[in-house]
Amino acid sequence: MSQELVELGLAEAVNLVRSGQVSLAEIVEDYIGQIERQDKRIKAYLTYNFGPALNRARQIDSRSEKGKLAGAVIAIKDNIVTKGLRTTCGSKILENFVPPYNATVIERLEAEDAIIIGKTNLDEFAMGSSTENSAFFPTRNPWDVERVPGGSSGGSAAAVAAREAAAALGSETGGSVRQPAAFCGLVGLKPTYGRISRYGLVAFASSLDQIGPLARNVPDCAWLTSVISGFDRRDSTSADLPVPDYFSNLELPLTKNRIGVLAEALLTGVNPEVAANYKKVILNLEKLGFKLSTVSFPSWEYALPCYYIIAPSEASSNLARFDGVRYGFRASSGELSEMYVKTRTLGFGSEVKRRILIGTFALSSGYYEAYYARAAKARQTITHEFQTAFKQVDLILTPTTPEPAFRLGEKQDPLSMYLQDYFTVTANLAGLPALSLPSGLTAAGLPFGVQLIGPDFSESELFKVAFLLEKSFNFKNNIDGITTVREEEE
Amino acid sequence: MKFDLNHLSRLANLRLTGEEEKELPGQLEKIIDWVGQLSCLETDQEEKFTPVNFSLRLEADQPEESLPPAEVLAMAPDKEDNFVKVPRVLAGK
Repeated sequence: MSQELVELGLAEAVNLVRSGQVSLAEIVEDYIGQIERQDKRIKAYLTYNFGPALNRARQIDSRSEKGKLAGAVIAIKDNIVTKGLRTTCGSKILENFVPPYNATVIERLEAEDAIIIGKTNLDEFAMGSSTENSAFFPTRNPWDVERVPGGSSGGSAAAVAAREAAAALGSETGGSVRQPAAFCGLVGLKPTYGRISRYGLVAFASSLDQIGPLARNVPDCAWLTSVISGFDRRDSTSADLPVPDYFSNLELPLTKNRIGVLAEALLTGVNPEVAANYKKVILNLEKLGFKLSTVSFPSWEYALPCYYIIAPSEASSNLARFDGVRYGFRASSGELSEMYVKTRTLGFGSEVKRRILIGTFALSSGYYEAYYARAAKARQTITHEFQTAFKQVDLILTPTTPEPAFRLGEKQDPLSMYLQDYFTVTANLAGLPALSLPSGLTAAGLPFGVQLIGPDFSESELFKVAFLLEKSFNFKNNIDGITTVREEEE
Repeated sequence: MKFDLNHLSRLANLRLTGEEEKELPGQLEKIIDWVGQLSCLETDQEEKFTPVNFSLRLEADQPEESLPPAEVLAMAPDKEDNFVKVPRVLAGK
């Protein structure tokens, strides 16, 4: 039996626990076993939460009333605060930081009896696309441990793919849930800006940041999204709108069937296997009865430079709070202003410093109009192009990433890493929901991802179309050495 | 694009160390040149971008309980009585 428990999806495990067929403690023990076997190799986690997780599981088992997520073993990206459980943001500056409160998403998960199994690795302060910018160690892609799992939510993605968690929470600023989901053969959602509370998410770029779920299939992702969504008075950008039951809605008939695709010109420079897979998905959608048409995005190519002005600008301001005074690391110094500088110099890694300096430049006197103000206008232009597109189509389909998972150490130049976000940043800039799902394997056996982007608060439609696609792909995220190694052992 | 890295570092309360001193200036110049291509985009947008397209609810102006001082102070790198302690503000010269 224990062989299969970590193989169960979130919804299946919850059904078994709620119907009393399996105890939650058994499931948690099975995940702990899997983590102990796999995580030395994968390195998905920064902090384990085994003891408290088991205790909570036994407590929940002893109750007859069980929440909607009793049975769900969840990994949490380490930039989401957890009361009493170390939260590092992948940074030396918060290496020993133990938060005194829970993020709203953690409260919502625990209120429904989900189990938090540990905190996952990330690029420092969520700045990166490979998890190599973690101050502690890089995480490996379970599909090929010589490759990156993507980032910045790479630890969360690797944990779910390696059966070290049933699902996970990540966060997005420019693609940090969708890109690792694509690299690891998972479903990942960047919700509409305001859909999921960010109270307790350590801020990177506040006009872009969102928390998003990663799961092994669309129904699991939909289930988790319903639980963590909804108004929160502690997040002033939270939307006071009803939350649909995304999971039950999967069975509702489709009301929208027009899908927009990108013009050929926007795919130049994309890995040929990725481009071919994209075309295959388009044919697939046509066979399923969708009406496909090309949509025009004259400004798409400007989205990346726009993002790499806006996000660092906001980061330079948000990260000013890390000064060594009230919490986190403090460098010793005899004088206050020198203490700030020393603390930040020793506490932040190179990518964080690069982004703080770019943002400081873009906001500085004499450059603000030419950089930040121009980027803000470009952002409005990009948003308008989406609004125009959504008069013509219901959803937009793009590849998730320009290439499949790359090798560790392959991208030394920061700019080549930034290009990873080519397809994903537009949805962040415009605040739109976007979902990535696996769409097959490369010749070398690495997952492809495609993303669907929809209008504000169209998550239900995204899930429904993604569910149809998922069934038509019949994608299997079983990984050699992860899901079979134990049979060899036994 | 030329920029004064010392000035930026001072504004950001940062210093570059070791390898960073060698690598970062060139990298930053490349990145700033690259984002500069945005000047080629024709925008006639006068409207300011706002990330929120729904109505926001205002909070009632009511005092509420905050975190207990002891828990907050427990996070501080240095403290004395009920205060966070920092090094001297004015350098003694």
